[in-house]
Amino acid sequence: MRSMKRFLCLALVLVFAFTLALSGCGEKATPAADPTTKKTDAPAPKAEDKPAESAVPAETVELTMTLVGNKQETDTDLVMEKINEYLADKINIKLNLQVFGWGDPYEQKVNTMLSSGEPFDVCFTANWAANYYKNAAAGYFTELNDLLAKYPAIYEIAGKDFVDGSALDGINYAVPTHKETVHNWGYLLQKAVVDQYGIDISTLKKMEDLEPWFDKIKADGKITPLLVVGGDSPFQFLDWDRVSDDNVPGALYSDNRDNTIVNHFLAPESVDMYKKLRDYYQKGYIASDAATMENTAEQMKTAKYFAVESSLKPGKDAEMTGSTGVEWVQIDITQPVMSNRETTGAMLAIPAASKNAERAFQFIEILYTDDVVRNLLNFGIEGTHYNVNADGRITQTQEGLDRYNMGPGWRYGDQFKDLLLDNEDPNKWADFGKYNDAGLVLNSLGFVYNDSDVSTESSACKTVTGTYNRQLQCGAVDVDPILKKYEDELKASGVDTLIADMQTQYDAWRAKVGK
Amino acid sequence: MLKLARKRRQNEIGFGANTAINILFLAICVMCIAPVLLVLSISLSDEASIRANGYQFIPSAFSGEAYRYLLTAGDAIWRAYGVSILVTVVGTLLSLMVITLYAYPLSRSSFKYRYHFSFFAFFTMIFGGGLVPWYIVYTQLIPIKNTLWIMIVPYLMNTWYMMIMRTFYKTTVPESIIESARIDGAGEFRTFFVIVLPLCKAGLATVGLFCTLAYWNDFYLPMVFVNNSKNYNIQYLMYQTLIAVQNLLNASNAISNASQILANLPSESVRMAIAVISIGPIVLAYPFFQKYFVKGLTIGAVKG
Repeated sequence: MRSMKRFLCLALVLVFAFTLALSGCGEKATPAADPTTKKTDAPAPKAEDKPAESAVPAETVELTMTLVGNKQETDTDLVMEKINEYLADKINIKLNLQVFGWGDPYEQKVNTMLSSGEPFDVCFTANWAANYYKNAAAGYFTELNDLLAKYPAIYEIAGKDFVDGSALDGINYAVPTHKETVHNWGYLLQKAVVDQYGIDISTLKKMEDLEPWFDKIKADGKITPLLVVGGDSPFQFLDWDRVSDDNVPGALYSDNRDNTIVNHFLAPESVDMYKKLRDYYQKGYIASDAATMENTAEQMKTAKYFAVESSLKPGKDAEMTGSTGVEWVQIDITQPVMSNRETTGAMLAIPAASKNAERAFQFIEILYTDDVVRNLLNFGIEGTHYNVNADGRITQTQEGLDRYNMGPGWRYGDQFKDLLLDNEDPNKWADFGKYNDAGLVLNSLGFVYNDSDVSTESSACKTVTGTYNRQLQCGAVDVDPILKKYEDELKASGVDTLIADMQTQYDAWRAKVGK
Repeated sequence: MLKLARKRRQNEIGFGANTAINILFLAICVMCIAPVLLVLSISLSDEASIRANGYQFIPSAFSGEAYRYLLTAGDAIWRAYGVSILVTVVGTLLSLMVITLYAYPLSRSSFKYRYHFSFFAFFTMIFGGGLVPWYIVYTQLIPIKNTLWIMIVPYLMNTWYMMIMRTFYKTTVPESIIESARIDGAGEFRTFFVIVLPLCKAGLATVGLFCTLAYWNDFYLPMVFVNNSKNYNIQYLMYQTLIAVQNLLNASNAISNASQILANLPSESVRMAIAVISIGPIVLAYPFFQKYFVKGLTIGAVKG
């Protein structure tokens, strides 16, 4: 009897312990009660209907802005004071900036704040941060269409095509940063090596053009010709216009040739690329431990590589030179295109719980129109955190960086108004303009795929592609034998259902917007 | 031969089994200690040598640069360190108080409503409200978001530790002692503080250590509730940096300039140095608790 009792006790305790463990997991795994369904008739938060005031608003309102970044900088309060002082006779706000770390810290905080209805006013969001698509569809962001019409500066600066590219079914929930509005791919080449071999980089237009040089460099045996780390592989030169996440099969060709979604990991072009990379690998162009490498930037710092694939924009080489301490030059391989990558890559939204939506929007507009505010926010205070050189470019002091290092200006507003660092090309912004104009606008711009009906297939495929892509994209395995296995596993994971679903949604979307 | 012929004492472990058990535990020890040593060695490595040779148990080039950086440029780190210590000390004391006071009446058979109060506590263990309601409680009902209290209050009551404590009272303090105290004229409080608690030191140490660990290792509460960077604790600061690196590595295609941002984050050796200093106090706390810890665990578990 006694032992029975003891057993029962033990059982009870185990059950408690187990539920405790479970509830512990559960709490962390589900960030917020996000409705995953996409509805257009989600409870539409309304912007405040205040009459337009031409004069400065009498009462000061406090605006809280959340940004993703490295961390809250030490001198943030100091800089905010300056900004508020400057804005006092413009829109009369008190800005309260909160920077949360990249990844989970930002996601946890902002998603919880949004779903608990906590009032804050400006929120950084993107296809990779604060879950833009889900939160917009769930009604956590204010509709901005009326405000965009009332304050037209953002449309004028960033272009209507681009701004509306981030809209969901015609409703703007956020405004994208005006920065590079297109992307292309190419190589970064180590400058020292280019000079040493006397390479004329203007002759390098395709992957094949580099092969003779790879051969020579390999033969000399001092450095490895090509750096391949994870997704940073020449595979990107195919520039698939992917429909869903990076590792989910399903993409369009990025030259607008048709509107058929294909499994791009097994398309003939990709297979040819795998074979070429296998060839590179066997010839020793790629390091033999490429499949297990991490952190491209760290590898680039070693100066042990001649070339690395990279997404490009004007001045990318100078940027990477600055951050890796090794000199690089860039060459284009693919043509610039404007895709969903750019339009939803960095945006500002106004949470539905904001009590001052219109004032918040006015502040966002200022980030597009006023270079004083932008540069305060980006670089801090002149003389304290940076010095202006004779040519107008600026030098950030180490002491200044220790106390205020905000990081990239592409997170908000109009990046074209930013001051240039001393290692940047003086013509950077002019080149950016030309580069943006050269971009091809893809058919799929503005299409958002919702995988809720086939989420099982989607995640199953992701698991499979995660295993194979890494090996195939660095040439570490023989292509033909593994390809058959890859295809079978994807089939078993329901890739056909997934792609059919993508096609259905894409066709429906095209019919709706008339593309 | 002589040894083998010796008559074994009762319950003595045979030579073979003894060796096997020793080897097993030695292996487990190595598995626990090796990563710590590796972290220590990386924190003392030269940054360039890490890049060139990867992680090594014995660094090919020593450098104290990481610790020098922490001493000079690490304002935020030392502040967070202070926050962690304050929260852990205050939190552990308060939490011990709440837990011991809640557990004591439940251990007394003369307390009529003990089952109701037990149920009250157990219920919260099985059913939680979920993240958002929980968040609303601490932001609107008890507005302590962003303060140091938010890292203390949510962990004050822990049903599991409360159960351990209750079992402790039941097994180590016989009712007759309490009864004799009452006969000698002690009130309930006097009985509790003068008679019961001193008998339960082992239990207090056990639960105290659990609480200390929970407070010291927590990064979840600051992640959800603390927006003011002045109130970050050391674990969260470390978590923020590590996650940033991981996230930027994975998302290098989605985030433009990811590699540029990565280059500006603290270097590998600095991150490991932060990890090393964050182990500090808790390692010092162990020997202090250990004396009671073993005793506490056995008593708590077997006589349940």
